Amino acid sequence: MNDLLNEVVSPEDLQKFENIYHQQLYKNDVTPKAQFEYAWCLVRSKYPVDIKKGLVLLQELFTTHEEGKRDYLFYLALGNARLKQYRQALNFLNAFLNIEPNNSQVIGLKNVIEKKMTQEGLKGIAITGGAIVALGAVVSLGISLLGAAKK
Amino acid sequence: MDSDILTTLKILIIGESGVGKSSLLLRFTEDNFDPEQTLTIGVDFKTKRLNINGDTVKLAIWDTAGQERFRTLTPSYYRDAQGAILVYDVCNRMTFVKLENWLSELEMYSTKSNIIKMIIGNKIDREEREVSRDEGVIFARKHQTLFVETSAKTKDGVQCAFEELVEKIIQTPDLWDSYSPQNNVHVGLKDHPEDSSCSGYCDLL
Repeated sequence: MNDLLNEVVSPEDLQKFENIYHQQLYKNDVTPKAQFEYAWCLVRSKYPVDIKKGLVLLQELFTTHEEGKRDYLFYLALGNARLKQYRQALNFLNAFLNIEPNNSQVIGLKNVIEKKMTQEGLKGIAITGGAIVALGAVVSLGISLLGAAKK
Repeated sequence: MDSDILTTLKILIIGESGVGKSSLLLRFTEDNFDPEQTLTIGVDFKTKRLNINGDTVKLAIWDTAGQERFRTLTPSYYRDAQGAILVYDVCNRMTFVKLENWLSELEMYSTKSNIIKMIIGNKIDREEREVSRDEGVIFARKHQTLFVETSAKTKDGVQCAFEELVEKIIQTPDLWDSYSPQNNVHVGLKDHPEDSSCSGYCDLL
């Protein structure tokens, strides 16, 4: 189920749509289509820096291009989720669901993200728990060493 | 549990906007139907386990948006697919005519030359049919694909369609055996000549 969050854009696709975008940028005439296609590739990159760039492009589209708003919202959520910014991702999805409450695709992504939050949240607690145990061990070792030194 | 799975297959669903691709997937994976199914954004993804002749296979199904605005990017999802479902609406001739484009798109972008193709004529529950079953059959025969008519709304043919597609893929080990090298059980099937295409239709009751 995580595949939407894990599948990665091919370098050829990224290159191809980056070129189109840059050509249009050079002429100072970027179409929403080219910007969206490039952003769609960027948010599916394995590099966080690309995803962040994709989010900037999507954010800009969201405020300037009315027609594709639902698509931009969805990919803003996806990009954020891939950066593990789950709270932001959920904000975008909830905004989407305010408009289309029964969209199963959005509900599906929301479920995946919530599951991830639970899993990674639990892992976080486990690590913290482990650290406390380790700290406890160090402290008790220290105490026993102190005790030994006193003897 | 995954050790019980014979293989994981990548299945693709393509076709014009509004023909019922997502509805077919929803019916197949969750046995549900949403009369107000919304337009798919980009691509959607669902998994489902299917038992075929005693073997469990896991299906990873990619449901692509039919809308024009997504056309440039959806072909990148064709990569490595072992099965493709091309859907048209039997009440909308244009969606049937456009199948030619979808077939050539598939030809161009799919990376497996022997990918198994199935054409589905959907929405047979409706009365205002524009494409007859015979036309569908002839088209499928001409292009050597499997053919099934379905209704995602009434369930007719849906389960049968996916099962037939998967069965055909399993009968073509070249498509998937590299995915599970520990499974050599089916290699013997290679000796059998492929069934002539269109041999197995799902007949609707």
